[in-house]
Amino acid sequence: MNLQGYIARRVCVLPLMVIGITLLTFVLSHAVPADPISANLGDQAAANPAVVAAFRHQWGLDRPLPQQYLVYLWNLVRGDMGISISTHQPVLTDLREHLPATIELALTAMLLSLLIGIPLGILAAVRRDSLVDQIGRGVSLIGVSMPVFWLGLVALLIFYARLGWAPSAGQLNPRLPLPPFVTGFVVVDALLARENGVALDALAHLALPAIVLASASIGVITRMMRGSMLDVLGEDYVRTARAKGLPARRVTLRHAARNALLPVITVVGLSFGSLLSGAVITETVFAWPGLGSYAFQSATSLDFPAIMGVGIVVASVYVLVNLVTDITYAAVDPRIRMG
Amino acid sequence: MMRTSQHGEVRRHDGTTVTRRRLITAAGGLAAVAAMAGRLGGVRGARAAAATQALIMAPGFVIRSLDPGHTLEPDGEMITHACYDALVTFNGADLSTPRPHIATGWKVSAGGLLYTFTLRRDVRFASGNPLTSADVKWSFDRVINLQSNPAFFLANVDEVQAPDPYTVVLRLHTPQPSIIPILSNGALGIVDSKLVASQGGDSSPDAKTKDHAEAYLNAHSAGSGAFILDSYTPNQEVVLVRNPTHWRTRAAMDRVVLRSIPEAATQALQLERGDLDIALSMGQANLPTLMRVPTVSVQTSVVATSFLMMVNMDPTLGGQLNNPKILQAIRYALDYNGILQIAGPGAQRMAGVIPNDLPGALDPREAFKTDLAKAKGLVKESGLSQVNGRLMFASDATSYGIQYSLLAQKIQSDLAAAGITVALNGLPGTLELGEYRGGRAPALFGGYAADYPDATDFLVYLPGQLVGKRMNWPANASPAAQELAGWGDQAVQESDAKARVALLQKVQRRLLEIGPYAPLFTPALPYGFRTDLRSVTYNSVWEIDFYPIRRA
Repeated sequence: MNLQGYIARRVCVLPLMVIGITLLTFVLSHAVPADPISANLGDQAAANPAVVAAFRHQWGLDRPLPQQYLVYLWNLVRGDMGISISTHQPVLTDLREHLPATIELALTAMLLSLLIGIPLGILAAVRRDSLVDQIGRGVSLIGVSMPVFWLGLVALLIFYARLGWAPSAGQLNPRLPLPPFVTGFVVVDALLARENGVALDALAHLALPAIVLASASIGVITRMMRGSMLDVLGEDYVRTARAKGLPARRVTLRHAARNALLPVITVVGLSFGSLLSGAVITETVFAWPGLGSYAFQSATSLDFPAIMGVGIVVASVYVLVNLVTDITYAAVDPRIRMG
Repeated sequence: MMRTSQHGEVRRHDGTTVTRRRLITAAGGLAAVAAMAGRLGGVRGARAAAATQALIMAPGFVIRSLDPGHTLEPDGEMITHACYDALVTFNGADLSTPRPHIATGWKVSAGGLLYTFTLRRDVRFASGNPLTSADVKWSFDRVINLQSNPAFFLANVDEVQAPDPYTVVLRLHTPQPSIIPILSNGALGIVDSKLVASQGGDSSPDAKTKDHAEAYLNAHSAGSGAFILDSYTPNQEVVLVRNPTHWRTRAAMDRVVLRSIPEAATQALQLERGDLDIALSMGQANLPTLMRVPTVSVQTSVVATSFLMMVNMDPTLGGQLNNPKILQAIRYALDYNGILQIAGPGAQRMAGVIPNDLPGALDPREAFKTDLAKAKGLVKESGLSQVNGRLMFASDATSYGIQYSLLAQKIQSDLAAAGITVALNGLPGTLELGEYRGGRAPALFGGYAADYPDATDFLVYLPGQLVGKRMNWPANASPAAQELAGWGDQAVQESDAKARVALLQKVQRRLLEIGPYAPLFTPALPYGFRTDLRSVTYNSVWEIDFYPIRRA
């Protein structure tokens, strides 16, 4: 099967996967032995049967579960993800307000992971057992083993509170006005509005949480790249290339690194998923107004429409990242054919 | 969209044209800015340009709605208190003396059923519409008929009358002097009826299905308060701006920004560095450090909340714990000084069920004193060879900086010392709440926060009342319980302040003789603010009043 056919097939399967995800999320969220009444009504209101009945009717909780699910699916097909019980506004609006901040953070962290992890892994492999290798292994170990929550607090304490190099937590200095909403990415929106001071402030706010969030994936990518490079550097074709007198840089980058990237691509795909889930914790420490805080609030409020919305978005991102990973695989190694 | 500004600031989520040139400019700018971002010190320039009369605050950020007809949570009340004026109010942290606000005064009829309020004539809403009795009637009718969280405030109101533009009469079903402090609540702030009705608001008996104004009121305020809602992004940020047409002198702060900062340590660091002016959830662990910072003032405020341990009166649930001798033994076995350590600085012993800051509370010196020998003696007197029970608690809960899991372990070890074995049953907060409200919790502890600043709100612990029912203790449980319930009803209707206090104290003393409760403490909320701020006080009902706050 050619690449286009493979992509088409995967894209066609996507809606079915989303339906499967909605069913799974619906069943799991309703399996929790708690009632949204407890999470959303005050003590006095919860003791008033008329208020409870009005609440159940308002949020469709008085219907049988299968009917609730089918109504949700029907509305979803029409682009309506329902109204959030806790924010009282459309889930789609909530997601539009929260998702860009998380994507902004996760993408920046991914970029940092790639820019640091891959070169460091290559260098560590090429100069095995040298100081660079020791540093690479040290960075990997620290990145992988330090809890993001702890690392975030320590980073804030040192770089914000003590040294004053980093700005406070949050996406923007609260004394500055938000730029007009265009993409939801504050840095980009500020630049579009030609508010360079705001953009600079937003970028500065992004730096520390992105570094903290990237720490684990930098460790994983560095280790994987180093290991993979060591394997490839011992292959016959690399020795042949060296024997032919090719420059060392060319052998390393064009012959070895390109092939060593294959397993790293898989890890990068998986890392992006963990960046999204890791972002929940980073967002808490850095008061980052992303999907993490929304997901937490939804779960604690038993806000079923919001839980479903977050589930669909996160699962869809995973599916898309997997697809992109597979396509990148084929692009990097033409020998691979999609089956 | 909730970022829509009332003042024409362009924050639309739609309708913005992005040209290719602007995108290229943005990309180029992004690269340039990225290069500059390494020098994070440059941000200070942006900070320096910031408005100086903005107040930045981090509340707990539990906000479900900013519509007065729906809101009940303290953080939501803080916003409604700032944006909507109520008929009466309290000064600062005081909860004992209601004062006129929109009403210049009130009269109570001889039977205590009619409350007549005279309104100020110089009050206008931010829209420019004058505030009249028609708005008061419309606002109260809407709260009653929406049947949402705050509806119970006016459950005893039979009718709201507006005989002339500046007179409002409330006719009650039964005498209820607490109606005056109840009216100070932000949920009972007066809304601009013309404006809200034009945005889908409804106050008719069918309001619960016909009213569609909540979305509007979550994005705009419609009150006469000192501030106007500028923007609200759920779970993230609320921005208020000063109301230039407010009837009192204008507020000193021209902008108030409330931000969600969930992590206590982050709040503490920001307060220390001056990026935050007021923090309400700094965590007890961070207090010692903050107290050493000269530019930060850390205060504690006793809050109108009662923390109690309680046992289910249903023998199949409470088991051996609801034996009267064992209940007494529990009260003597608890190490109250140790428990106060867990409750944190400022927390006070509580002798009854009414928090210490409300008239009617018992003197803390009357509180039970730890007496392990007496507790062991009572266990022996019970005739039970072994006393076992189960203590349910919200394992993920922390309120007023108090970790419930720590408190549960402390109670368990205190009771064990007296020969009472309780197994801990920690559940996620939502589950635990459901079990408690369903009357299925065997024994538990927790705080009941005042819905309104009046001691009668805490009569919920009486047999047949809200908490009493959840402990399966009906009013007809025994002649003693029936008598106690009757005293409670008398206290609710008593209009003489002294007689009321005496009655409330009698009720509490009897409650501790026959009821399933062990009072633990009145908690205190630690809050911090920058020392250049003046007039920062914490009120149990609406938390912080922004109006009097100014910079030195």
